[in-house]
Amino acid sequence: MLSVLLQQGINGIVVGSLYVLVALGLTLIYGVLVQINFAHADIVTLGAFAAYFFTFVLGGNYLASIAVALVVGAALGWLMNALIFAPLRNRGNELLPLIATIGVSIMLQNTMLAWFGPIPFAFDTPYSNDVIRVAGMFFTIQSVLIIVVSTATIGLLYAFMKFTFLGKALRAVSQDRETAGLMGINPNQLIMLTFVIASALAGMGGAMLGPVLVLTPFAGTSVIVKAFAIVIIGGFGNVEGTIIAGLLVGLIESYTTQFLDPGLIDIVVFALLLLTLALRPTGLIAEKREENV
Amino acid sequence: MQRQTTVMRAVLNSRLFWLIVAAVAIGLMPIIFTDSYWRTNLIVCAINVMLAIGLDFILGYAGQLNLGQSAFYGIGAYVSTLLIMKLGVPFWIAFGCGVLLSGIAGMLLSLFAVRLRGHYLAIASLGFAVITYQILVNWISLTQGPLGIYAIPPPPALQLPGLPIIDFKNLANLFYLTAGFAFLAYLLLDQLVRSPIGETLTAIREDEVSAASLGINCQAWKVFAFAVGSSVAGAAGCFYASFVGTLVPDAFFITESFTILAMVIVGGMGTLIGPVWGAILLTVLPELLRGVGDLRLIIYGVAVTLVVLFMPGGMVQAARFIAAYFRSLLPGRGAGA
Repeated sequence: MLSVLLQQGINGIVVGSLYVLVALGLTLIYGVLVQINFAHADIVTLGAFAAYFFTFVLGGNYLASIAVALVVGAALGWLMNALIFAPLRNRGNELLPLIATIGVSIMLQNTMLAWFGPIPFAFDTPYSNDVIRVAGMFFTIQSVLIIVVSTATIGLLYAFMKFTFLGKALRAVSQDRETAGLMGINPNQLIMLTFVIASALAGMGGAMLGPVLVLTPFAGTSVIVKAFAIVIIGGFGNVEGTIIAGLLVGLIESYTTQFLDPGLIDIVVFALLLLTLALRPTGLIAEKREENV
Repeated sequence: MQRQTTVMRAVLNSRLFWLIVAAVAIGLMPIIFTDSYWRTNLIVCAINVMLAIGLDFILGYAGQLNLGQSAFYGIGAYVSTLLIMKLGVPFWIAFGCGVLLSGIAGMLLSLFAVRLRGHYLAIASLGFAVITYQILVNWISLTQGPLGIYAIPPPPALQLPGLPIIDFKNLANLFYLTAGFAFLAYLLLDQLVRSPIGETLTAIREDEVSAASLGINCQAWKVFAFAVGSSVAGAAGCFYASFVGTLVPDAFFITESFTILAMVIVGGMGTLIGPVWGAILLTVLPELLRGVGDLRLIIYGVAVTLVVLFMPGGMVQAARFIAAYFRSLLPGRGAGA
């Protein structure tokens, strides 16, 4: 019994750490721009496909393919900001960019559907079948890889935000864009940087989620609805809260699968989301912003 | 000459004239389109018009971004169908229950989300849609899950005194029924938005704090807007079930909410006639583009994005722009005045 609990706990943390990568992007963008990017889902999917094609069509190394997905994600983030968010920034309607990204998402999903078809791609990495056994529990090398890469990435991001000048400038912009501008920080460049970082995280998250999910053009949608739940549970714009909430959702997912029914995952996660909104709309973890409540 | 143009302008500006034109157009449609393929599309148009104007009432007038419209649509469809199929309730009573329950669901969601605005409301309503969809999929003993419910009968034939029996197995009659209800829903919402209620809702949309300082009970009116908009979606769901004859949860997945949103945006949110045109265009255009294959849904996404970027007022703004252009071409205006 205990080993089942531990095993599922580890499985939950593996998936949860990938959700954290995706949700951190959403939360970073929300932090500087107070905007939601629905097409974030498709950056995840495109990252997964980039990794898939790099590994299986070009014959590249899977580890290198994570880097490729990161670059693809970063490029898409740059495009999203340049083409959608920057032109809409001063329109004064907070809902327009959100709706535009829904349009972009429909467009990207169906473009991928036209290219790749609806049949799921079998994305088996070289590490998916190597199993190590520790104290009655099984880990694939893939899951160890996921934990190492995502922990390192989150750690680097955290260090970047805390200790570098750019990271401090980024936090300054997210606290008060105008004052940051008066201090000689160019908010437009930092917003672009945020989009690039956020989308790079989504892309590399996709490369590692690809083998976990059913890889179709719509794979990102199931991830993004959970990522939305995570950023709300953790508090929008709150990095620490997002990390904790992401791992929590991963754990909920694996324990629901083990003890209830896999079909109930979304119901449990979203019930928690609605509960959070009812009780503490600024997030269960910590309070930060209040303009949406 | 002068008088003639003034009379003409008065006629063109009168609502009654355009309502009659719309009623005549609805009456003519099944006569123009006699094959069952296009008549089916006409019915889908009528259903989508209901969904779009219902959402526009919530989004365009009260300013609440509701991504849960697919759930209200699904609740209307499943409630009415289950009452008919499992309990043998007569169609029109089941219809009433479906509309009522969707409305109540809308009220509950907005009561729950009453403190939330903007993006939080968008995600809360999206969460509501996800939960509703998952319940439809997982409550197999009630909804038969992804297997779906089959052989749902069409609305029962209508026997009005002095008229021949109206049989709704006939697609033309079914179109008159759904389009008639869409027309009624339009009239109702049109009356609402032209009444002081419409101004109240617009005031909340523009600035909630100022509206509240004028003594408007913003929360109550938001709940009202949700109740009305979601009831209309529920009615659309009842007609959808009895028209298609089968129900599967996938018809009410969250992407359906996005599709309805696209209709409102492309048509022009904040006007009622815009979403009507948006719903018709986005229903008919993909059918016309069927030859292009997968391209049609890509065009759908491109259309929404381009409209938001370059013409946020949608088709209504485009029509006004074109009308203003032609008016400026008319001789004697501008220079004479």
